[in-house]
Formats: sequence, structure tokens, C-alpha cells
Amino acid sequence: MSKDTEQAVSGPEKASPGRTLVEFAGISKRFGSTAALTEVSLRGGHGSVHAVTGENGAGKSTLMNLLAGVHRPDGGTLRLRGDAVTLGSPQDARRHGISTIFQELTLLPNLTVAENMFLGREPLRFGLIDRRAMRRAAQAALDRLDSRISPDTYCADLSVGEQQMVEIAKGIAAEAEIFILDEPTAALNAPEVEKLARLIAQLRAQGKLIFYISHRLDEIFRFCDVVSVLKDGKHVATHPTQELDHERLVALMVGREIGTLYPERRPQPTKRQPRLVVEALAPSAFGCAVSFRLSVGEILGLAGLEGQGQRAIIRALAGIEPPSAGTVSKAGRKSGDVEHLPASIVATARAGVGFIPEDRKIEGLYLPLSIRQNVALGMLRDQSIWQRARISGNAIEQLLAKMRVVSAGSGQAVGALSGGNQQKVMIGRWLASGVDVLLIEEPTRGVDVGAKAEIYGLLREFADAGGAVLITSSELTEVLGLCDRILAVRGGALVAEFTGTEATEEQVMHAALTGGIEQEAVA
Amino acid sequence: MSIRQMIRFPGRSGLGLVALGIPVVMFVFLGFTAPNFATVQNYANVNAQIAALLLVALGQMIVAVSGGIDLSVGSVLSLTSAIIVSVDPALAVPAALMAGLCVGLVNGIGVTVFAVHPLIMTLASMTFLQGLALLILPVPGGDVPDYLEALVRFTFLGLPAAFYWCVLAVVATWVLTSRTRFGLRIFAVGANDLNAARNGVNVTMQRITCYVLCSFGGVLAGLFLSARVASAEPTMGVQYGLESVTAIALGGVLLAGGIGSVPGVIAGTVALGLMTNGMNLIGVSPFIRAAATGLLLLSAVSLQPRKTIGA
Repeated sequence: MSKDTEQAVSGPEKASPGRTLVEFAGISKRFGSTAALTEVSLRGGHGSVHAVTGENGAGKSTLMNLLAGVHRPDGGTLRLRGDAVTLGSPQDARRHGISTIFQELTLLPNLTVAENMFLGREPLRFGLIDRRAMRRAAQAALDRLDSRISPDTYCADLSVGEQQMVEIAKGIAAEAEIFILDEPTAALNAPEVEKLARLIAQLRAQGKLIFYISHRLDEIFRFCDVVSVLKDGKHVATHPTQELDHERLVALMVGREIGTLYPERRPQPTKRQPRLVVEALAPSAFGCAVSFRLSVGEILGLAGLEGQGQRAIIRALAGIEPPSAGTVSKAGRKSGDVEHLPASIVATARAGVGFIPEDRKIEGLYLPLSIRQNVALGMLRDQSIWQRARISGNAIEQLLAKMRVVSAGSGQAVGALSGGNQQKVMIGRWLASGVDVLLIEEPTRGVDVGAKAEIYGLLREFADAGGAVLITSSELTEVLGLCDRILAVRGGALVAEFTGTEATEEQVMHAALTGGIEQEAVA
Repeated sequence: MSIRQMIRFPGRSGLGLVALGIPVVMFVFLGFTAPNFATVQNYANVNAQIAALLLVALGQMIVAVSGGIDLSVGSVLSLTSAIIVSVDPALAVPAALMAGLCVGLVNGIGVTVFAVHPLIMTLASMTFLQGLALLILPVPGGDVPDYLEALVRFTFLGLPAAFYWCVLAVVATWVLTSRTRFGLRIFAVGANDLNAARNGVNVTMQRITCYVLCSFGGVLAGLFLSARVASAEPTMGVQYGLESVTAIALGGVLLAGGIGSVPGVIAGTVALGLMTNGMNLIGVSPFIRAAATGLLLLSAVSLQPRKTIGA
């Protein structure tokens, strides 16, 4: 113990409170020719919430998959409670008291909560499933989490947050001591995140070890005691979260300061040339009509609390959810060349307005198709379907190289890419098609810090080259850092306008919450 | 659970007002319109007529719940008929079961290990096995073993043998699907095989077993039907592949997998059986009956919720 205390002063081992439960000792893992992990050593103890963070591709998921029994290490030793173990399968890991809550939840919708919790290890009585014992054990596990979910509910009827609760209860029922939470808040709304926070606190109080995989800094500081940072498959550092702040943590993750995350904004000309003119547009979900202009060369942000109408406005503009009233007109490159946009996604795309949806996996990309095919779709935008497709492979390769899409080649399926690279492909499709307006929902959702900076850079470059960008974002720092102008949205109405360089987080939040006392004239 | 909820999401049984209502409506309708419908003799007839279909449909349901489909089961029925009159009477049943096991294994391994689409895999084996049955027994006829005939001829407590065959098959399938690990896991596999695997379910073994059980359903139906007509026929099962799919679709089994129940299969089979019986009684041409089955399959599948489980 004294040795540990000595190391504690500077070494990463210090950070784990409580008795050591898991120890990665010099763990390495290769996939083909790429080294996913190189001699990673870290340990986690009872009763602690241990964040594992880093950019996408830093190796945090790989490290946790080793612990979850999904992969086996090529080198090094994994110790549980001091003994070296080999985890051959997820079941094996489960038997060792490790419960993994994958980002994509694994519950079956047509099974009840109790059935889901015991699937794969159903209790038997006379060779048949002992439903009563199963139900009782499920109820006991749910009780320990103070959950009011009934064990007889079908999981199809549960919200994502409730399903996550069931996954955790599943671990409790299996007497797990180690919980791996992989990006647990990705699909949760704010109250559900609160609930998760309480759950995590409960688990910690029960002496469990929680590995919390995330690159959401706020959550790491809120939920976690200790944070380990991985970069390029190597362990960079482990620190108690109290000893760090946002800037230092980001610096550890990306090796650069946060100031460079956002590209430089050029002062906007006083007389702006409009690209999109929105007049009395009334999204069908909200009664209010909104009017604003999107100018050439600017990035405009719609900010506000979630569900206040940003999404409805941008979708009405894109023609996905046609508005009940209002007009949108688009000025072409030549002055005086104005085109009225009908409310249909096909018409807007034809007119050179690209839309990038929040859920790119479902609404945007063709996951099984290659990167090249996904980008090439953009080139077909204004070609007749009877024409032979004119697709320039060279142009695509150049574009991908320029955007620094990291892949095994442009023939790789888009579904296999990281979030950041998928988003770049999405943007690339519209760039290849030569649009001059981009409407983007949550431009960096599920994107790691490094790729974020590159995406911001791409958008700025697009705007500087005469494009116009409208984004919605629930991350206020992003809106403040990226946008030239910010429109605060509340209850479907535009309540305030700010200049990106001058606005503060407090001002925008205030407007979004109260309707904007310090309202400036809305353009 | 309120009635409202039952209609919206009837658990994973797929039982709804439509699935349960169709046979009841048909029963009442035929009782009023068809001559000689409401007689003990006719009920026994219906029972005998649907017994073979029920045996096949129960197996079909197991495959469908796991997310597959087995069109070859009709040919298994035909093959069984051909086998039992072509081998030593003492070996008739084991030989037929062995054939069923082989077919099930081949279908299951093709679908899982070689990832052939179930429709293609079982369409291929359906065609192959039909040819095989005709090779073994080119013309109908032959002597069905006496003990098999005895097994379908007896009456006990005033009820015909067909009734007991049905009860046994129903109880066995119900216990299997509702009370065993295997049963719970086929629902898991049918809903999402990847997640089932993540929870420790051996998806491959599970699927192969489903196809084997379905083939056994075909074998039993072949034994029953051949014994009942006391003669073998190498094309006896031709319509059973599609009819079993129609029956389970009528009974609320989701062909995409994950939803279905034994009561639903009974309801669907009875509905189809009553339709056949009613048309016979009223004197409709068997060709029209075949055409009607096709339309029924189309409408039964169209009426199913397109959205997957839980919607």
C-alpha cells in the first residue's frame, strides 16, 4: 500500500480511491496493421466512477471491449481483484462480475423487463423457466435502484432512459461489481440524465466500480471522480477530476488548447447580401411565424433550449416538414436573380440548399454503401435520372483528402466510420454537389473534439467562399464559438439576436429562458 | 392489462381482435349458411382436415418467430409419405424422422452458416425434396404400416384420434415456446439476433433447431395424413408450405419475427380449415378454393403491422 501512496504524488495510479478491482497492465491490442492500444496501464478501484476519455479512435472503446470480453488483448495482463484473467466472451466477462451497458442498448423489445434481465441465464425449475424466481429477482434488482419500472413491462414500452435503467438493473441482478457505461447520455433527455446521475451515485455508494466512457466534458466533471485520457492508443494521464479543468482536460485529449477549436471569424460587412430570405415562415408544429435573412458568407445559429422550435424552423426551411404558411426565397449568385423555394426537400436540394439532419445514420447516410458512393450522390443532384451518371472519382478523392476523412479508403462502408468522419462525408456530399447554402442540425453531435475543429474549419471555409450556413445546436459553446450571428428561439419564435463575437453564454441563455429582455431588433 | 392495451400491444403473442375474431365469425357464418355444417360428423371432419395443417403450422410458427420461413415443409410431408411405404414397416417412423432431421439441419445450416436467405434456401429444398419424393415413389399407392393406421383411427372418450394428435402437438409446442429457455430465446433471436447474441444466446444453434423442429412438424403431418388415407402420395404436401404460412399470418404471427403464439396459430389454422370446409359444403370448386387461399395469404400478410415489434 505504501508503494501506491508514493506513486500517488505524480503517477497515474494514485487516482483510484478504494481497493483495486481492475488493473490493466501493459495492455496492447492490434487490429490488422493498426495498433489500437499500446501498453496501456491503469487501474480502477471499488466505489469510484472512472471516466475513460479521448478522441474517437483514441482506443477507449477498444480498452473497454477488452474488459467486456468482446476482444482479447494481444499483450499485457488484465487483473481482476489481483488475479490475472482471460475473458473469452461477453458471457465470460459477465460471470466475472462485469456488466457492460453498450451505447446501443441490447434489450429485446418483445421481452419483458424480467426476461431481458435474465436472458441467457434464465433460472430453471424442473427444466422449465422459473418465472416466479425470475420476476422476484428482477423486482429486487429494480428495487435496489429505487426504480418503479414493473418487471412485467415489455421493453418496447420503455423510454430510452428506462431501458438504460433496466440494463443497469440487469448488472445488479447479475451481482456485477464493475459497470461499463459507453456514452450513456447520448440518447437521453435532460431529466433522464439527472436520473442517470443519481443511479451512478447509487452504484458508487454500493462500492461498485463504474467505467464511464465519454467525451462530453461536462459529464466527466459532473459524474466522475477520476479521469483517464487515452490518445492514439496510449495512456496519456489519469487524474482526479478535481485537479483538472475543461481546458486542461481538452489539452490532454487533443494536445492543443481549446482556443484553436473554432476558426477565426472575419468581421461581417455592414451591408450584407442576403442569400436566403425567410418571410413569415410558420412551422406547422408551432404557431409563430418567423422572418429572418441568411446572408452570404455568414454562419447563423439558432440557439435555445431543446424542443423550442429550432428543429421545426430548420426542417420547415429544408422542406422536410412543410410549413403551414410563409415564403422562402433564395438569391442566386447574380444579383436580382431571386428564386422562390417551394416547400419540398427535392425542390430545396435542386435550388442548391443542402440539409444535414441531426441523425445522419438514419436520415442522411447510406451506411452499407461506400464513402465514394455516399459522396457521389451529391453529384447527381441536378442530373436527370435518364442521363448516364457523371461522377468524377478524382474530384471525390480530392474532396475526401481535403476534408481529411480518415478511412481505409474511399471504398469503405460509411457505417464503419467514426461519427466525425461520417459527418465529414455528409458535408462532403453537399460540397460535391455545389450547393451554396447548408442547413445543419447539430453539426457535431457524436463527433470527437479533434474532428469537431476540422468540421468547424470546413464550415467556415465554405462560408468564406461565398456560402451561407444555418445551424441549430444544443451546445451553446458551439454556437458562440462558431456563429457570426445568433438567433435565440423560444416557443417557436425568434426572441433575440446577437452578434457571435459579442454574445455571452449568459445573455443567450437568458433570452432562451425568458424570451429576451435585452432584445435587439430581429432582422 | 386493460382491453385497450391488449389491442394496442398484445404482448408478443400477436393476438388481436382480428386474429381471434376471424374463426369465430366464420363459425357463426357457416352455421347459418352452410348445410350440414353444425353436425358432429362435420366437426370431426374439420378436425381431421386441419390436424395435418396444424402440425405443420406449429412448426412454421417456431421458424417464423425466430425470424425465418420454411417453405420446404410441404415437401417434407410428401417425402414422409413416400418413405413410409418404401422401407421396412418397422423402420418407417425412424426413417421419416431421420429424413426430417436431415432436412432441418440442411435448411438451418444453409440459413445460418452460409447466410442464404430463408426464402431461397427453403424454396430450393422444397423443389429438391419434391423431386426426391417422386423418385422414391413415382405413383401414389403402397401399404401404410398397420400400427400407423391404428394411431389415427381410434376413438377415445368419444373423441377422434385427430383431436388427440392436435392436443398433444399444441401442448408440446406451447410448453416449448412459453416455458422453456429455447422458447424465450427464439423470441429474442427473432426480435434482434445481434442483441440476443450479446446476451449470451447461441443464435446459430437456436435457428438450426427451429428448422429441425419445423421439419419434424412436416414429418408428423405426413405420417398422420398418409395413415388417414391409408395410402401414400408423393405430392401430398404440395399446398402445405404456403397454407401453413397463411395460417400463421392469419393467427397474428409476425413474419418478420419476434411475435407469435400457439393460440394464434390454432385460430389461424381453424380459420383456414373452416374456409375450406365451408366451401366444400357449399359446393365451391377446389380451384376457386386454391385461388382464395392465395388471396387470403396476401390479405393476412398485408393486415399485419408493418412496423416491427412493439408498435
